[in-house]
Amino acid sequence: MSVAGISSSAKPQASRLVAILVLAAIVALVAATPFLPNYHIRVVNSLLIYILLGIGLNIVIGYTGLLDLGFVAFYAVGAYTYALLASPQLDLHLPFLLIVGIAAVLGMITGILLGIPVLKLRGDYLAIVTLGFGEIIRIVINNVDWLTGGPKGIARLDKASILGVEIARPVEIYWLLLVTVFLVGLFVWRLERSILGKAWAAIREDQDAARGIGINTTNAKLAAFATSATIGAIAGTIFAASQRFVSPESFTLQESVLIVLMIVIGGIGNILGIVAGAAILILLPELLREFAEWRILFLGILMVVLIIVRPAGIVPRTFGPEKLIRGLFGK
Amino acid sequence: MTLVFKNLRKQYGANVAINDVSTDFAPGLIYGVIGPNGAGKSTLINMTAGSYTVSDGSISLDGHRLDGMKKHQIANSGIARTYQNIRLFDQMTVLENLEVCAYPAEVYNTWREVLWPPYGRERAAARRESAMEILRFFGLEGYGDAEAGSLPYGRQRMLEIARALAMKPRVLLLDEPAAGLNHHETAELTAKLAELRSPERIMLVVEHDMDLVMTLCDRIVVMHHGKLLFQGTPAEVQASSDVQLAYLGTDNDIDDIRAAAQDRRAQLGIRARRRS
Repeated sequence: MSVAGISSSAKPQASRLVAILVLAAIVALVAATPFLPNYHIRVVNSLLIYILLGIGLNIVIGYTGLLDLGFVAFYAVGAYTYALLASPQLDLHLPFLLIVGIAAVLGMITGILLGIPVLKLRGDYLAIVTLGFGEIIRIVINNVDWLTGGPKGIARLDKASILGVEIARPVEIYWLLLVTVFLVGLFVWRLERSILGKAWAAIREDQDAARGIGINTTNAKLAAFATSATIGAIAGTIFAASQRFVSPESFTLQESVLIVLMIVIGGIGNILGIVAGAAILILLPELLREFAEWRILFLGILMVVLIIVRPAGIVPRTFGPEKLIRGLFGK
Repeated sequence: MTLVFKNLRKQYGANVAINDVSTDFAPGLIYGVIGPNGAGKSTLINMTAGSYTVSDGSISLDGHRLDGMKKHQIANSGIARTYQNIRLFDQMTVLENLEVCAYPAEVYNTWREVLWPPYGRERAAARRESAMEILRFFGLEGYGDAEAGSLPYGRQRMLEIARALAMKPRVLLLDEPAAGLNHHETAELTAKLAELRSPERIMLVVEHDMDLVMTLCDRIVVMHHGKLLFQGTPAEVQASSDVQLAYLGTDNDIDDIRAAAQDRRAQLGIRARRRS
């Protein structure tokens, strides 16, 4: 693998420089965003939501090695939980944090419900069944008019507020998302390095040998599905709270594919990679807006080139956050 | 503590791979399982470890039935194995390959590990240390942070045994540990395996390398066409005319093997165990 370019351990100076540059860039971007016009902040917010989704899906795809193409279903569960519990639709107006908690639990339950039937499937078969699951959720939402408003969706959602502080303007949503991404990222990163994370990796590498060393692969996989779905649902709640409108349009198969692409292009199994992948797939189309239809072509070509040049992703698995930290603070 | 096979049978359609095998294995001894190709040696290991189901009969450890248990449950009852074709977690580091064996004991503390960093660090350090200890025994300590898949073949064989050992097994099943190793590596392996002999541990070695089997094993089980043909000490096996006919070949071969085994024993300083 051509990792040497950025992570050569023979050149600690170079890797420290890279780490400092990356960190400086992140800090600068984070600090500058609130001063941008609202439209740009919205783009950054959507970037952060996709990063959150990527972190969630990566648990199943990157860590455990299971190709899940129906992730958007959990995103929808979260979004509709907020839409139903904080809108005139059912005339319920629960507080935001409570809904996040409810959505997280619902996400976890749907994650396990999806996990149980697909436990024995791998590879293409798993991908097809999860894809079907994602579509089922969308179609159900589309057709249960009395509850979800069908294709019209649900509008006039409440403004979110936490402890009396209203979170509705793009910049407020931005801070909420930033904190969420940071906390979830930290949690997932620590999870990956825990004994459960190592078991996920073992299942990814050789499921049968993993059983042979005493890993209950059923439980470990369900834990992966559940954690991933919980994060997807949380992302959905924040998405709904920021749009204050939900409709089935936002939860198509295309979204699932986009998140998978982000992970693959950015660097499978690596949180830093997801940030890079999201930056390319979410920001680039915005930046290239003036080229209209051409941007899709451009994006396609870029993806092909990236896959050829960096098959392990822009930031490969071996250059994880711990490398970045080690680069900053020496050994 | 014993591992007991009782009327064990494995059948694929009309094809009988294991036919009415009954025997038992006592701790503290190393058992060699030999026999021509297709005799059912690997099938025995695969059934014991739960990779294959048992068609009839039973396998029990300390009176607890193992057949019918799930594979991970069998592993957690103290049975560890290696594979005929090496099956490591290739993209994980050598250390991680061993550390992950702590999963059954520690998974229920995952929350604590994730949410309370000092505890996480303490557990990670403890896992690393016990993994390093095993790596040092196998002379693999220099490879700790290398990807398992990048190791030379002989080291991968050693690592697989190291991983099995990291499970602190009561029964260690080795499926052709010397396959593909050169003479030097086989000698090193034989010496290491001899050191693993412990009063609490049953070791079962399926192997084609007669040198290794005769040098290392205290008892030998000879399989032939799915049946247990003969069981005894290396000397008894070598003296048995049945075994010679079925497997070992002519008298000349036997003498060669015996001489080579004695040489090897002398070289390695391994004491041949006699029936007590």
